[in-house]
Parts: sequence; C-alpha cells; structure tokens
Amino acid sequence: MGFFFQELVNGVTTGALYALIALGFSMVYGVLKLLNFAHGDLYMVGAYIGFFVIQFFGGAAHVNIPVPLLLVIMFVLAAGLVGGLGVAIERFAYRPLRDAPRIAPLITAIGISFFLENSALLLFGAQYRIYNTSEFISFSSGIQIGSVSIDSVQIMVVVLGAALMLGLRLLVNRTRLGKQMRAVAADREAAEMLGINVDFTIAATFFLGSALAGVAGVMAGLLFNQVTNTIGFIAGLKAFTAAVVGGIGSLPGAMLGGLLIGIAESFVTGYISSTFTNLIVFGLLIVVMLVRPSGLLGRAQLQKV
Amino acid sequence: MKGRLVIATAAVGALAVAGCSSSSSSSTTTSASGGSGSGNTNCTASVGIEAPITGSVASLGDEQLHFAELAVSMDNAANHTKITLVQGDTQLEPSQAVTVTQQFTSNSSIVAVVGPAGSQEVEAVGSLMARAGMAFISGSATAVALTSGSYSTFFRVVSKDSVQGPEDANYIIKNLHPKALMIVDDQEAYSTGLVSAMLPIFQAAGIKVDHESVSQKVTDFSSLVAKVTAAESVVVLPWQIAANAQQFGRDLAQEHKNAVIFGTDGLFDPGTFTITGSYVSSFGPDITAIPADASIVKTAQAKYGSFGTFGPPVFAATHVVDEAIASVCKAGQTPNRSNVLAAVKKTNEPTSILGQPIAFDSHGDLVNGKFFLFKITSTGKYQLIPN
Repeated sequence: MGFFFQELVNGVTTGALYALIALGFSMVYGVLKLLNFAHGDLYMVGAYIGFFVIQFFGGAAHVNIPVPLLLVIMFVLAAGLVGGLGVAIERFAYRPLRDAPRIAPLITAIGISFFLENSALLLFGAQYRIYNTSEFISFSSGIQIGSVSIDSVQIMVVVLGAALMLGLRLLVNRTRLGKQMRAVAADREAAEMLGINVDFTIAATFFLGSALAGVAGVMAGLLFNQVTNTIGFIAGLKAFTAAVVGGIGSLPGAMLGGLLIGIAESFVTGYISSTFTNLIVFGLLIVVMLVRPSGLLGRAQLQKV
Repeated sequence: MKGRLVIATAAVGALAVAGCSSSSSSSTTTSASGGSGSGNTNCTASVGIEAPITGSVASLGDEQLHFAELAVSMDNAANHTKITLVQGDTQLEPSQAVTVTQQFTSNSSIVAVVGPAGSQEVEAVGSLMARAGMAFISGSATAVALTSGSYSTFFRVVSKDSVQGPEDANYIIKNLHPKALMIVDDQEAYSTGLVSAMLPIFQAAGIKVDHESVSQKVTDFSSLVAKVTAAESVVVLPWQIAANAQQFGRDLAQEHKNAVIFGTDGLFDPGTFTITGSYVSSFGPDITAIPADASIVKTAQAKYGSFGTFGPPVFAATHVVDEAIASVCKAGQTPNRSNVLAAVKKTNEPTSILGQPIAFDSHGDLVNGKFFLFKITSTGKYQLIPN
C-alpha cells in the first residue's frame, strides 16, 4: 500500500508541473486557436532563470539570503521575465499572422521553439546546469508517513501549483480581465465590436500562460536539479498531450489532463516498467482522442452553417 | 576544324604525360632519399580529435582534449615532428559526430583521428572513417560490437565491455552479495551492451534482477526509485550522464532507499557524481599512482588542474598516432592516411601512460586490457579498490 501512495505522490507532483504548462497551452489556444509549440521552451527559460538566481545569491552551497526569500525571488523573476518574453513573442511573431491561414502561425511557433532552444545553447552552453537543491533545502525537512516519503520540494510544488491553478480560475471567472479573455475566446470580432481591447487581452493571456510556464520551469529545476536547453521539448510535448486529453481550450481540462498524465507515468513506471512509460502515456492520448475527440472536459466545436 | 581538334587533343595529352612523368620522378626522388636513411625531416601532419568538448559530459571532453594536446606537444618535442591537433566537438551526439567526421575526412591534411568518445558515436562514424581509409583510435568507447569487423580502421586503447561487464558483475556478486538488484539502461548502445553482458551472470548466480530502461533525456527518476525494493541492495547504472546518476542517487536518499549505486565507466566524473558509497568502474587507471607517469601527472596538474580517468587513455591514443606518423617520416615517406593506418596496426609499445603495453589485435582491440574499480568516499574522492 505504501508503494501505491508513494507512486501517487510522485505522479501528482509531476502532474502539477504538466498541468501548469498545459494551462498556458490551453489559454493561448482558447483566445487564438493557436498551438504554441514554443511554450515548452518558455518553461526551459524559466528553469535557467531560477538557476542563475541561485548563482547570484552565492550558489547552492552558500546561499546568502534566507531560503524562503530566495524561492520567492526565483518564482517572481521567472514569472515576470518569462511572461514578458511570452508577450514579446506574441507581439512580434504571432500578431502579424493573426488573420493569416492557421498553418502560418503554427510553423512560426515551431520556428520560435527552435530559436529559443538554440539561443539558450549559444548563451548558456550545452552543459547541464545543476540546481543542487539539497544544498539549501534539506531532505529531512520533508515528511514521512509510514513508508511514504514526501519531500518538502514536492509539497511546495503541489501546494503552489494548486494555488496558481485556483488563482487562475478565479481570475478567469471573477475578474473583468477574465471576462474579456472569455469573450475574446468565444468570438474575437464580436468582442472587438463590444469595445474590448483585443490586443491587450491577448497579450495578457500570453503573459499569464508564459508566467505559469516560467514558474513550472523553476519547480522542475528544484525537483529534478538539472537544466539544459533541451528540457523544454519533452515537457512541452507532455503538456500538449495533457491539454489535448483534458480538452484543449478548457482550463479545468488542462489541469485534469496534466494530473492524469503525471499519475499515469508514475504508475506505469511503478507497476509495469519504465520502458513502457511513453508508449502508454501517448497511447492514452490516442484512446481519448478516438473515444472523445474534444477531450475529457472539452466541448464539441459547433460549426456555423 | 577537325585538324585543330586533333592538335588540341594532342597538346592536352602531352601535358598530361609530362605531368605524370614529373610526379613519378618526384616520388622516385622521395623514395631514393628514403632509401639513403635520412628520412623525411619535414614531418608535418594534422590529427583530428573528436570529443564532447561541450554538452552534457563537457568536463570529460575537456579532459580528453587537454591530454591530447599534452601528448602532441610532448611527442612533437621528442620526435621533432610538426603535428597539429584539429578539434571537433561531438557533444556525445552521434549526429554531431557524423558532421565532424565528414569535415575531417574532407580535410586531406588530417591523416588520423583520436576519438570519438562514445560507442554510439563510433557506430555512427565507423563506416565513414573506413571509406576514407582513416585510422581512428578511441580512448573511451567500450561497446563489444565495435570490433566485430564492421569498422576496419577502428582501434581502442581501452578494454571492451565484455571485460568490464563480467568483471563488474562478478565483483558485485562476490563482494556486495545482493539477493536482488535493479539494473537500468539508458537506451544507448554503450548501456544496453553492458546490460547484455551483466544480466546473464546475475541470473546464473540466482540474483533476482529488475531490468528497467530510461532515456538519457529523462531527469525525473522519483517513480523508478520508488520501485527499488528493500531486497534490492544494489542498483546498477551503466550510464553515460553522470548528472543523471547524481539525481538518481539524490532520489534514493530522499525516498530513504538503502541501495548502493554501482556505475560503469560512463559515470566516472568526480566533479558531478559524488554519491557516497557508490562504486564506479573505469577503463583507465589512476595514473597518479603509477611512478613512471610522475612527470606527465605534474605537467598535467600544473596546466589543467585535477583530472580523472578519461584523459590518460586519450593521451595514449594520441601518442600511438604521433608515433605512427613519426615512424612514417623516419621511413622517408610523407604521412598519409594509408601509411599511418598501416603503422598504427603495427603498434607495439612495451610501456605506456596506462601502465601496460599497447598493441592491437586484428580487430583493433587492445591486447590484455583491464578495468579498474573505485569507491566514492564521504569527501567525494574516488578511491581505487585494489584487485
């Protein structure tokens, strides 16, 4: 039984990461009907920002500020800078193609992904950058319930991830900006005619989605310790899968999809074999698409005639 | 018109015959001077080095490059040669190694290559090198299949996994006495080859083996570590990315697992893999313990700081190439790929930086190669375990 709960803890932690990245995918798709394939690389940029913040404050073994403050600075800086990068990408790469055939921004998104990956390679080199989390957050600060170990970093990831997801849901459902985002997602032209600043709303969506990816990058660095320019590709692919499984364009769907993918990976590794992890996870995507093409919580697209 | 064409053709033919005559007389001159024993005193050649100078194992690639540079400078001084080293960064990626090899083979001044480092890279470039007739000597590629005959110009100055795998497996059985263990491959040729060599030995000894597989790109091992049972007292990681093994070790500690990590030579990275109590096997000895290497050790430490076991085999490989070039020049010939390859095949050094003779068998393998075992202490030092 302990093994079951340990794998559940591991799966929920990874799932929280995927959910945060998947939210950005879904938000952007919701307002622009664009699959932003560069989104995984924004997560990579966030991870690098976290690493360099640690180095700025003395390095993992000699952090010269209180650790909670260090973590706050890492998350806020990653969110802000990556959010800003997302806004810049939208402004210069996607906005000019808003009314172009859908293939054009898709190809551009792939190009932006390669651009970000190779820019990171040129700027930071191909060496792994190591967070060395255990140097400033001890393993003993976690909790042990029977045979189940829950690291303090895992607790932080799940709690922060849940808080961010709840915060986003409240923003989208209870605020003026959220209402504007939903209006633009429903019908961009109609929203514009109603006086909504569509450009600002889309930019805000990109900022929020990218900021979440940046935060997820820092979380990944703290959890897995290693950052390199290629980490965004696999994470982006899994998050895209999560968004599609949950229902692309649906925020609750992205959260559910992320958790499902994380838990599925964990249980397949634990109960079957790590060799089959990707096979089964992506197989799950195919099965869901065949049974429910709009995703678990997505709504069928109505075609106006 | 027809007459002019005949004259033009005759003129071109005469020029061609004249050209051939003059080149053959040049070669006759060269041979004649060789025969008189004076040798080729202007011994100039380029040697390529393929190493992961950047990338996930850049620290090892840097060490390999430094020791190659050291070998070239020492051999140039001793042999009065003018050998230059041409760098090629492979990042331990087969696709990158192919690009570098294509650059090297199209550079006619490069007569031999040291490297590449990884077995999967050798598999990617072996046929290119063979087609170009270029000798290439690796200081770290240990997969058994590399010397099965597919790559006729490949040599290595280290033992192969059919030595490392069984030696490591037998050490684990005799000294660590596991009732069960987990062995995880990283889906690359080097790793799967070692697993193939070790698995039958564990099974024959009655040890329960959980064989898992993760890509080198995976960095989250928490679910796999959760699977390590209390009975599995050893986890064998025949991996190439030391940072991954370090993370695996951290996850073991975080989940309060007592299993000991046993790594193969790919994990030999004292700057990165420092999990106390872990074992790491290596094809390279600790040359600081070899008295005959004292001056090389002193020079290397002064120039490059501390080093591990990846540099000395590359020094040995580069020295083999340098000596081959020097012997070609002594015979009065100009070094080219063909005569350097022939000289490499005849290598017979009674001693080397590795503390053992260097000669190659007909498949390119080092004759009588050995593996060495280290244990990581609480200070992160790699302590040699005596045989």
